Amino acid sequence: MSPISPKRRKLDHDSTDEISNISGSDEEMNVDREAFEDDAPTTKTKQNPTKSHQSREVDESAVYAGGLFKSNTFKIQVDYLLEEIRPNYDGKLGKANETLSKLKGLIEAIEPRDALPVAEATKLLQKSHKISVPFPSPKPDKSAAYKLAYAKPSRINVIGSYPMRTMIKPAKSDHVLSIDMVVVMPASILQEKDYMNYRYFYKRAYYLANIAAGLQESLKDTYTLMFKYLNGNDLHPILTVKPKPADSKTPSKYEINIIPAAPAGFFPDAKLLPSKNSVRPKEGAENATLPPTPFYNASLSSDRNFEAYLKLLHLASKQSKSFADAIMLGQIWLRRRNVSGCISQGGFGSFEWAAIMALLMKGGGPKGHSVLSEGYSSYQMFKAMLQFISANDMSSKPFIYEASDVSLPKSDTPVFFDGPRSQNLLYKMTPWSYGLLREEAKVSLDMLNDDTFDQFESTFVTSASESLQRYDCVVRMPLPTEIPPSSECDHLTQITSLSRRVFSVLREGLMDRVKLINIKTPSLPNWAFKASGPNSEAQIVLYFVFDPAIIDRLVDHGPSAEEKRKALKFQKFWGEKAELRRFKDGSILESLVWKSASTYGVFQEIVTYIINRHFTKEISEGLTFVGQSFDKAIRAADSTTKQFEALKEAFRTFEKDVRELEGLPLQLRQLSPTSPQLRYTSIDAPSFSAHSPLKDPANVLIQFEGSGRWPDDLISIQRTKIAFLLNIGNLLEDCDGVVMTRVGLENEDKQFENCAFLDVVCKSGAAFRLRIQNDREQTLLERLVKDKFTDSRTRDEAVSALAAYKTTFVQLPLLTQSISTHCTRFPLLSPTIRLLKMWFDNHMLLGHISGELIELLGAHTFLHAYPWRAPSSVMTGFLRTLMFIERWDWRHQALVVDFTGTMTSKDVTSANTRLEAWRKIDPGMNRTVIFAASNHDTSGVGFTEMGPSKVVAARMTALAGSAYKLVKEKGIELDHRLLFASSTAGYDFVIHISPFFAKGSKRKDTSKSKFKNLKVQSEADLEQIGYQPIPLFLAELKKIYTNSIVFFYSEEVGTCIGGLWNPQPVAGRTLKIGIEYATKVISSEEGEQNVQLDKGAILAEISRLGGDMVSKIEVQR
Amino acid sequence: MVYQIKSFTVLPLTIPSTPAFPKSTTHTLYLQPHTPKIPVEEDSRSLFLLNVPIDSTPAHLRGIFTSLLGAAGRVEDIHFGGERRKAAPTAPAPKLPVGKKRKRGHEDVDLELDVSLPETSDRALHRSGGTAIIVFVDKKSAEAALKAIRKLHKSGKTSFPVWGGGLSNKIPALGGARYETYHALRYPDAMTLQMNVDNYMTAFNENEERKKREDKKKRNVPDEDGFVTVTKGGRSGTAKREDVEEKRIEMEEREEKKRRELERAGFYRFQVREQRKLEQSELVKQFEEDKRRVEKLREIRGKRGVRP
Repeated sequence: MSPISPKRRKLDHDSTDEISNISGSDEEMNVDREAFEDDAPTTKTKQNPTKSHQSREVDESAVYAGGLFKSNTFKIQVDYLLEEIRPNYDGKLGKANETLSKLKGLIEAIEPRDALPVAEATKLLQKSHKISVPFPSPKPDKSAAYKLAYAKPSRINVIGSYPMRTMIKPAKSDHVLSIDMVVVMPASILQEKDYMNYRYFYKRAYYLANIAAGLQESLKDTYTLMFKYLNGNDLHPILTVKPKPADSKTPSKYEINIIPAAPAGFFPDAKLLPSKNSVRPKEGAENATLPPTPFYNASLSSDRNFEAYLKLLHLASKQSKSFADAIMLGQIWLRRRNVSGCISQGGFGSFEWAAIMALLMKGGGPKGHSVLSEGYSSYQMFKAMLQFISANDMSSKPFIYEASDVSLPKSDTPVFFDGPRSQNLLYKMTPWSYGLLREEAKVSLDMLNDDTFDQFESTFVTSASESLQRYDCVVRMPLPTEIPPSSECDHLTQITSLSRRVFSVLREGLMDRVKLINIKTPSLPNWAFKASGPNSEAQIVLYFVFDPAIIDRLVDHGPSAEEKRKALKFQKFWGEKAELRRFKDGSILESLVWKSASTYGVFQEIVTYIINRHFTKEISEGLTFVGQSFDKAIRAADSTTKQFEALKEAFRTFEKDVRELEGLPLQLRQLSPTSPQLRYTSIDAPSFSAHSPLKDPANVLIQFEGSGRWPDDLISIQRTKIAFLLNIGNLLEDCDGVVMTRVGLENEDKQFENCAFLDVVCKSGAAFRLRIQNDREQTLLERLVKDKFTDSRTRDEAVSALAAYKTTFVQLPLLTQSISTHCTRFPLLSPTIRLLKMWFDNHMLLGHISGELIELLGAHTFLHAYPWRAPSSVMTGFLRTLMFIERWDWRHQALVVDFTGTMTSKDVTSANTRLEAWRKIDPGMNRTVIFAASNHDTSGVGFTEMGPSKVVAARMTALAGSAYKLVKEKGIELDHRLLFASSTAGYDFVIHISPFFAKGSKRKDTSKSKFKNLKVQSEADLEQIGYQPIPLFLAELKKIYTNSIVFFYSEEVGTCIGGLWNPQPVAGRTLKIGIEYATKVISSEEGEQNVQLDKGAILAEISRLGGDMVSKIEVQR
Repeated sequence: MVYQIKSFTVLPLTIPSTPAFPKSTTHTLYLQPHTPKIPVEEDSRSLFLLNVPIDSTPAHLRGIFTSLLGAAGRVEDIHFGGERRKAAPTAPAPKLPVGKKRKRGHEDVDLELDVSLPETSDRALHRSGGTAIIVFVDKKSAEAALKAIRKLHKSGKTSFPVWGGGLSNKIPALGGARYETYHALRYPDAMTLQMNVDNYMTAFNENEERKKREDKKKRNVPDEDGFVTVTKGGRSGTAKREDVEEKRIEMEEREEKKRRELERAGFYRFQVREQRKLEQSELVKQFEEDKRRVEKLREIRGKRGVRP
């Protein structure tokens, strides 16, 4: 654009053309900019396909110009993912084509067999080839009139993801890719009536057995042949052909499924609608209205639609370039959620995903518009699919695609009815798997709409289905020895019908207590030709997600007594448990009262009761509940919450007392709690009473209104603080609620840091430790750091004092507020954090990793719970955090916790940028190792400056890794104690604490109990408040041996201190002043005199310092 | 046994075993004549000790030299390295900008400011591998000490001085008792504490007052060359540094705001255009940046990045 001359600018009327030109280009620009800003694609609006086509083709770097992806980072990661997950079609799979054509030739060459009666045909195959025909149950009648035959197939075709090139690499190394080959049976051996009473399926099974017989001889040596159920549907046995590996090192990469299919259009559509009955009951066949058999019909339908769907998908992939990629994304997403086409795994796999997507591209929207546009990017398609799944409840309102006159029977199976192919695509799904799928879709959609954080990992990488991290409770249910045959006409296996009943009973019985119920039925493995069918385990597993707010509700309200029918139904369901009660508001309701007090107790009681009532006692007694142990480990009960509440209450009273004090030197601004005991996160709940005061005083900050009277000097400020504390103490002594006050000293060797505190013991037994906060300290310290004339030693001191100030006086009050707010919002946050702390403590890491960092980790699990919802049990909260730690790459990634939901993606990026900058300055990570930012602290070092070191951080990751591995291996058999078991074998030496000082011993308590009747708080008790000899000892050790030893100690266990020598000093070096550890003289090989860390002398020093506190020092290495 | 390493004489100490660590050990002490960078009179009769045990007390060290030299080895004074000397100046305390030309006399006043709080520990500990300086009564004793050690070595390793021999009751005990004492001492009597604080504050205030007076004087009285020193503050006294700082920040903020407002207004058309260009190039840059970051992450994580 040419610059506009000043003259023209003045003449408005003259320059209209110019202006319109400019505004025209402005508009264009604006459009572009809108596209930049519009991160989340609007799924329903059509986009101009040509435009996006172009933008994808032009250049990769052009993506930033379109809102086709969530973000640049997301797009790049998706590209890498697809690249990584796509199998190499030319490599090991290259031979597959060869095998396929070989198989085709062989099958076409199989000799036809004449029609024979069922019994004869079966026997013949058994005799000649030792193959038992995989008939579905019920097995065919021996005296049936129809005959079984074999003839050359009319067509053989390869279908599915192999020709579509949408396969993804198998999840585990021992899994292989499956290539589907359909063999269409010739119409000549079928009759139109065969759709009835399993006749088609018998013929199909016989046909398959014949193919097996025909291939067996010629392939025996190089291939393994097995029978299998396609997608676990026992109406669909198929033959799998897997090349035998040439040697054990290179297992074959693929297997070929040979699937017999019905000729298209042979069976009339009308007979196979979901509302029709195709299986006539044996007795009473004359019954006027026969119940529909949707599953049977759909199974048959799907057998004749293979090629139709192949065509549909092929067309769709021609139409849209991102179609294939979107299928792969969908597959990965489903796999991470452990959902697949297999009936036992939900019945929704890549085929269903692809078919629905193809159909939605053609239509399905209002007024016949398409839901997906051809021009969508793969990510947009993926997201629109999630939206479609989550927005439509296809089980209460069936989705009918291009079919007007279909009537559907009422059932709880979801329906996506594809009119042109007359097929319910979701026929394999169960009510629970559909519930799960929708829930997952909803969560993922919410997740993708979160712009602040990059959700790539949680969408496509994190395995969201690990049972102990996904579900709050897992129940194993043994199968009864004899399952009563189902009364329905439709084809259901015994296990399926049993699980359906279990599901409906549980759903009715547990009401709104649980948010999700999932059932896992045993999967059916492959079997050899000789066997009559697959063997499977005899149990089903039930999975539950709780609603944490009401799971432990003790009284359930049923219908009112006046609603007779409902009340009757209620009584029938609950039996003797239902009782009529009058409630405070005057209503008379049917109700249930449960006895147990704990979360799991109530749940267990209900499940056991209803299973016993609706099934057998044998089953209800065989139930095993998994998940409770974690609650017990942390003693997460109401009582602990009450203890925390009591201290909070005591704090409020105390605050009131302080506010009412008269004669304070300055106006009081606020008291802010900073102790973990006042934010529900100390491992042990605070326990105190009037007779036994709180052992560890709870930290509180006291802040006065600003005043010009504070001195302008750091040390004088500290002294003034002491005077204030003495003053406050004197005033409080006169207060009714206060028993004792005393001023204590701290940080004796740090001149700039807070040097005194005031301990206050209240009448209730609560004890508080007051420190005065003065904002000016920070300014003075900052000035001292900046001042060029400060000498280096003073600067170092000022720097560390500044860090300490920021942590104690700025970050801690904010954290305390946020954590305690969220502990009320999420009742399980508090026990989860406490359990986490216990885990860290048991592994002796708590001294290095601050409790606050652990709290941030715990809060992260709850506030950024994706790909799940916020945990609703201690188990899920704890295990998910461990899993996060295991995956957390703290070297390159900052932990970011957004307490208020106000952070933006820019904040997150800047936290990571800051981390990168730090890493550049300090690549060896000698100073700050972990970055944990929050909306209060974007610097990310508030709680990590004093540790952990690189060694400890690595140890944390390693421990979490082994714990996570254990969880994965053991699955629901996990014993939680294994996660907490720690060994001291790894330490160089162990300092054993003598039992008298170890935390477990209650030496004071025993003497106290003798005089309990005196009921007086003895002076000695008060003196002992805050006295912890071992931590004091440890602190001194740490200070003395900063550079030579790393100490590990567990406060909860408290019986020993582990020590590791710093490897550097152990090697010899020349003597010089300034070596910061004890040394001894060694002669190096060259005859020079060197010095080396003197381990013996140091251990002797430790034993002298420890004196009577140390019972033994054990050298392990 | 080596008795000399570099300029240091080596003195092994026999450490008695304890029930918790029943091995008998030796601790190696390195000694040399004290030669600091800034020499003082005492140097010639001082010894520099390296690697003193963490629990050293003057009594311990005196004991060692008594056992080496007998009554002859009279020790006058002992300083431990890293120990804050009593009555040290308040380190860099309030360095008022004007006070740089303070007269000698005033610094002396500063030195009197006692910053120490009541002791919380009955016995100081030392950093591992710490140092100490022993001042003997005369030069002869210092030399004799080194000589005695050499002799000890030559006599074959017989008996090296025993650490803490015969001291057990004379010095405060370590172990549980130490921490019990610490717990008692860290809560000093309110009276004592109040006195301590009062004393400090009085001294501090006096100091401040004096400085203020000094400043005032400078303002009024010309120095020998006839110049009047310009100092901060007028009749109402020196302005507080905080206030100055605050005002400055406030001003800067106001100007910044003004500037930004002008920029944002897009007053000229070229500004708008440039702004837009900037935004676009920013986006491109952002994309490149993101790409680089992901690339790097991918490099680090490898296949783990896409596997659960």
